[in-house]
Amino acid sequence: MEGKVIVITSGKGGVGKTTATASIGAALALEGNRVAVVDMDIGLRNLDVVMGLENRIVFNVVDAAKGKCQVKQAAIKDRRIDNLYLIPASQSDNKNALNPESMVKLSEKLRAEFDFILMDCPAGIEQGFENAVAGADEAVVVCTPEVSAVRDADRIIGLLYARSITPKLIINRIVPRMVDSGDMLSHEDVVDVLSIDLIGLVEMDEQVVASTNTGLPLVKDGSSKAGQAFRRIAQRLNGQPDLPLEIPTGQTRFWNKIGQKLGLRK
Amino acid sequence: MNTENEARLPVRLKGVGDSLWVTISPHLPVDVLQDELDKVFSRMNHLTINARIVIDPGESGDHQNLIETLGNFLKEKFGVGHVIPPPRKRSETEERKRRRDIDRSWENWKSDALVLAGRVRSGQKVSARKHLIVMGDVNPGAQVIAGGDVIVMGSLCGTALAGRSGDEGSIILSLDFRPTQIQIAGLVAAGVPTSSGKVAEYAHIENGAIVVEDYLRANPFSRLPWPEVR
Repeated sequence: MEGKVIVITSGKGGVGKTTATASIGAALALEGNRVAVVDMDIGLRNLDVVMGLENRIVFNVVDAAKGKCQVKQAAIKDRRIDNLYLIPASQSDNKNALNPESMVKLSEKLRAEFDFILMDCPAGIEQGFENAVAGADEAVVVCTPEVSAVRDADRIIGLLYARSITPKLIINRIVPRMVDSGDMLSHEDVVDVLSIDLIGLVEMDEQVVASTNTGLPLVKDGSSKAGQAFRRIAQRLNGQPDLPLEIPTGQTRFWNKIGQKLGLRK
Repeated sequence: MNTENEARLPVRLKGVGDSLWVTISPHLPVDVLQDELDKVFSRMNHLTINARIVIDPGESGDHQNLIETLGNFLKEKFGVGHVIPPPRKRSETEERKRRRDIDRSWENWKSDALVLAGRVRSGQKVSARKHLIVMGDVNPGAQVIAGGDVIVMGSLCGTALAGRSGDEGSIILSLDFRPTQIQIAGLVAAGVPTSSGKVAEYAHIENGAIVVEDYLRANPFSRLPWPEVR
């Protein structure tokens, strides 16, 4: 069976594309899929750091796309998770080192080798974005509950539709307490504007910062709310689209249940 | 020819379509009118034979008998065909109804509106030569432009430009009116105060400024007596 190329994009920078790519990739691999995560942020690579693989890089995605090496040579095997591979970005080139045609060819090669290929798209809508979406079959848009992120995600969604790709939405960094107090957009507000399929709600989680710095996979940590949310997102991408969404709430389940009984919460 | 002088003549004659239109001054005595008609008709020789004559008293009022008397006189003396009063003038109400029938032009009107369904997203720009109707939302960062009206059947959160052709009568209407900026015929209004609830509002130009009002309450087109093509 041929693999699927999924581009993870957002438009705005700093909303958690790289974390999402690393976490969803790890979660998909933990479910037994052969997964490649590709860092498309040429010149500003950091997916390797997030995954703790920075000192093993020999070849990169530009080499693979230009045929300087085999796909297998560029793919770095993860230390902790089997079946998870990283194809790092080049740090010395810029975004013009690649073009959409070469990415379409590279995507074909990757499909033959892996079940899932996750492309970590750079911020912006320029050449880097064009390259990342060129060979993609599907797209996941990461958005935070901020007006600026929603605006950029909206633009990206328009561009993806223009390329006949129907994107799915992840809302990242939700702070339930702030949503409850009305200081943060709720996920309903975001979906109202973007109106695409929602595949996951990820709560703000301090462990993300810790795992990003140490290079440890977030999804292996059972206590991390964000990690568990990414695992559920991976399940939805991996043939369980109907898995119910868990909405982050500020209160514990105990208080929720009491609230439900009293009719205070839905 | 002196038109003032002509207006004072007791009998005037002109050809209208297939008939001769005779305008008379109805207040003169019948024999004076007959004399005048005699003068005019004698000059026409055989042209009067079997002619269709319209006798127009030139004013409303009952002149049926006068027309009949003069008609019989003309028939006997000059052998004219028919003598009829002028076609009845329509009353004001009738005339208005008739105009509306003519004005039911929407039946033959080729629509000048661009109707779109869907969501206009950030960075997208939709322009229409005349009116633009979006069945869906206009997101923040999106731009909708129309030569005439902009109508959004959903939320308007982006920028809307109406009346690009300079038509100050253009409006911007939305079911949920929260635009970033609006322009009508070159007038700009930014930071339009928005109502909290979802009410249909519309922007229009009033005394050289853009005014936003509750559409249903203002009901701006309800005062038009008859549906008009816009």
